[in-house]
Amino acid sequence: MDHIRNFCIIAHIDHGKSTLADRLIQRCGAVEAREFRDQILDSMDLERERGITIKANTVSLPYTAKDGRTYELNLIDTPGHVDFSHEVRRSLMSCEGALLVVDASQGVEAQTVANLYLAMEFGLEVVPVINKIDLPSADVDRVMEEIDRDLGLDPFASIQVSAKLGTGIDELLEAIVQHLPPPKGDPKAPLRALLFDAQYDAYRGAVLQVRLFDGALREGTRVRFMHSGQEHKVEEVGYQRLKHVPAPELVAGEVGYVLAGVKGLSGLAIGDTLTEAERPAAEPVPGYREAKPVVFSSIYPMATDDYEDLTKALEKLKLNDASLIYEKDSSAALGFGFRCGFLGLLHLDVVQERLEREYDLSLILSAPSVRYRIVMNDDSEVWIDNPTFYPDPAQIKEAYEPYIKATIMTPERYLGTVMELCRERRGVETTFSYLSAGRMDVVSQLPLAEVLFDFYDRLKSITQGYGSFDYELLDYRLGDMVKVDILVNGEKVDALSQLVHREFSRPRALRYCERLAKTIPRQQFKIAIQGAIGGQIIARTTINPFRKDVTAKCYGGDISRKRKLLEKQKEGKKKMKMVGAVEIPQEAFVSVLRTEDEDEG
Amino acid sequence: MRADDGQPGLYLHIPFCSAVCPYCDFSVLRAGVPARKRFVEHLVAEVPLAAREWSDPRPFDTVYFGGGTPSLLPAGDLARVLGACREHLALPAAPWIFLEANPEDVTPDTCAAWRDLGVRTLSLGVQSFSDDALRFLGRRHDAKQARTAVETAQAAGFDTVSVDLIFGLPGHTEEAWRRELATAVALSPGHLSCYQLTIHPRTRFGVSAARGRLSELPEDEQATLFDLTHRFLADAGWPAYEVSNFARSRDHESRHNRKYWDHTPYLGLGPSAHSLATAQAGAPAARRWWNELRTPRWESRVAAGERPIEGEESLGPLALATEALMLGLRTTAGIDLDGFAARYGLDLLAANGALVARLAAEGHLVVSHGPGGHPRLVPTLSGLAVADGLAALFDLPLPP
Repeated sequence: MDHIRNFCIIAHIDHGKSTLADRLIQRCGAVEAREFRDQILDSMDLERERGITIKANTVSLPYTAKDGRTYELNLIDTPGHVDFSHEVRRSLMSCEGALLVVDASQGVEAQTVANLYLAMEFGLEVVPVINKIDLPSADVDRVMEEIDRDLGLDPFASIQVSAKLGTGIDELLEAIVQHLPPPKGDPKAPLRALLFDAQYDAYRGAVLQVRLFDGALREGTRVRFMHSGQEHKVEEVGYQRLKHVPAPELVAGEVGYVLAGVKGLSGLAIGDTLTEAERPAAEPVPGYREAKPVVFSSIYPMATDDYEDLTKALEKLKLNDASLIYEKDSSAALGFGFRCGFLGLLHLDVVQERLEREYDLSLILSAPSVRYRIVMNDDSEVWIDNPTFYPDPAQIKEAYEPYIKATIMTPERYLGTVMELCRERRGVETTFSYLSAGRMDVVSQLPLAEVLFDFYDRLKSITQGYGSFDYELLDYRLGDMVKVDILVNGEKVDALSQLVHREFSRPRALRYCERLAKTIPRQQFKIAIQGAIGGQIIARTTINPFRKDVTAKCYGGDISRKRKLLEKQKEGKKKMKMVGAVEIPQEAFVSVLRTEDEDEG
Repeated sequence: MRADDGQPGLYLHIPFCSAVCPYCDFSVLRAGVPARKRFVEHLVAEVPLAAREWSDPRPFDTVYFGGGTPSLLPAGDLARVLGACREHLALPAAPWIFLEANPEDVTPDTCAAWRDLGVRTLSLGVQSFSDDALRFLGRRHDAKQARTAVETAQAAGFDTVSVDLIFGLPGHTEEAWRRELATAVALSPGHLSCYQLTIHPRTRFGVSAARGRLSELPEDEQATLFDLTHRFLADAGWPAYEVSNFARSRDHESRHNRKYWDHTPYLGLGPSAHSLATAQAGAPAARRWWNELRTPRWESRVAAGERPIEGEESLGPLALATEALMLGLRTTAGIDLDGFAARYGLDLLAANGALVARLAAEGHLVVSHGPGGHPRLVPTLSGLAVADGLAALFDLPLPP
């Protein structure tokens, strides 16, 4: 077992995690030069483009060290965002060590600290890696100081590399072998294999990524998922190089893949523990939590004709993304669509982008909502995540909303504005403490609903990108929610209804009204746009009708051109949604439902 | 919808101007006398080329010399062109002839010559009775010349003298415009055309606008001036019959331009001229074609013995109905609903009942019952001001 090293790379966004992974893969000869393409582990275009890893990928690298022995280096990639903290935790749990990458010119940043804390929480041995030393702006001395002061790590244990040029990669590989501990575990004990990731393969079904803590896995083993209770017979096990390399067995301490006739990913729970059905382990690997959707939004195709395509796209996406849930939904204004549940806002973003890019769909998403617990007058209880189904307020006794514990790290100079942001967002019990000189840790209990509405963007902007944010769900608390409807010429636009805290109902309604007034083209009629709670109007804007649009001249040479213009105009109108005899262009919905806030920014 | 007798009109485009106005987007150019002579020869040559294809047997009852500045051509040249038309086309002895003229070309002598040609409507490109405005518009005449030209033309005995004016210049106030309208009315022309200044992209004004140095008036001010124009002239005895056209009596309305608005056939000769031929009987279908826009290209094709057509389109029932709606809503007579149904096979009111009710409530339209109880869809003044938008609201469930 001492020839195995299970490790991950953790880094602030853009500090070069993926490039470093590529270089390690290349140096270990796991890939031929001609097969090589940059950032191999980030297999989705979206990941490569955004520079974040969304779905963790894993690769096993054979490495012959200077001591002459061949080691099996299992690089377990980790997703880089708080929405997927669940998966990050599963990945970290599978490792004994971590490479903490710090950019040689940017230095230690908020996420670096957050990442270090996470790694320490899991008891990982950490090797600091100073990357991008080839940059003219690189300042290795300063970064070493920061590693010492801000991270409390030994700067002289750090390895200096340029992942781009390949400098220092050999030293790094040696450090992995020498400084990171080998896994522990009992190959004879009952099987305990942590399912830390899974991919869907069109031909092979679910490919399970596992880390064995105890026991062994081989073809024919009948395995049981300890949380879901499902049982499957193992068809193949092996190592995840860049391709699957079958092996006779996987044993304690090893990382590898398992094929067990699991069709899709939807029944799988990442973090589940596989054990032998015949000889089950007493306890699963600790720390399992079910990934529950916390953010809900309805997705509609821009063109109603695309509904079929959207249906197919979601079905395919679901095969690859077990945490995505959806059901049919429909709106008078936007037609047929789906109500979807997501792990967080980034997850929502990723799903939207994948649908748009990989499936070439244009979409409109309703305002994201959390799930509320409503206690009715007759003491019955309903869960509501869709404003459409919000009960008559007269029938509601109490409404509860989810709270989170938000942990924000920020340089000290932004403390005041961060505290203010938390206060604005109804944060309670906000506390702060010093992490290290100049660096603060702010903890606040916030309603999740207030975080959905451009919180992350605001945090980034007020801390000039230095603030990092992590959260965990706390509990449900009594709230004062109202359903705000938007009316166009007296008619409700159902897709724009939202549940808002009473305190914010008026500004939110006004903002919607104003954005609509900006994007709905003026028409021949006066258009009244109102925000209302029940029958009470709380915000109002008006779009004045055209007073003059007629062209002055219209003679023999003008008529064809004028008719074509009119035909084009009519074609455009077909793409608009009719509400209260008012044509609303799709862009109006898009602009209103955009969460980021350019008006204030 | 068809003009009373439906006889076709003939349009002759004379592209020359002594100076190209900064707002003008017509096919125009400056050229010396030899080039003008050459042009006349080509125009004369185009007549038989076009006549061969023109199959409508009905005689043309209007002839319109437009431009450009037809008054730049000597009367003799215009006579040559008319002669060619008489030779090859069904042109009666005395069609109603329209001639566009610049004030600086109007003298008792030229007027007498034009009268001899048979010109019955002289349309004067006055544009403004203000020296400042005329300078801004790049015109070569001044306010005094403009007034004199109108008086000279009136004295020469044309059936109709028409005055073109432009409003909505940058900074144009209600007061200033009202003064100009009063001047126009005092001269008592039979016909007035009042155009809101439009800035077209490929003009000098368009370039200035693109650089942010010039813009059309804000919509509210445009609307105010538009409203003022219509009210002032109606009160003075020149009610509008179209968005930009006003006449002292029905006899002074342009019987040529009306053909453009009701799908009466027209044949256009000269660069950029458009033509429309309607199906002889029954089916609502038509064909429209247009000549080469640029004079040199038009000339070289005519010289090669070709018809100088740049493009054409055939108009099915939907295209025709769309045009009829769009054009009808620009006229104060509005749309004869029975006529529309008979010609395009669509009951406009039945297909747009709720919309019409709504537009009526909004004060943009009325459904009126004229003599004989024929229902008409008539735009009000506020409706006329937004006629383009109104047309886009209607549903025309017709095959393309």
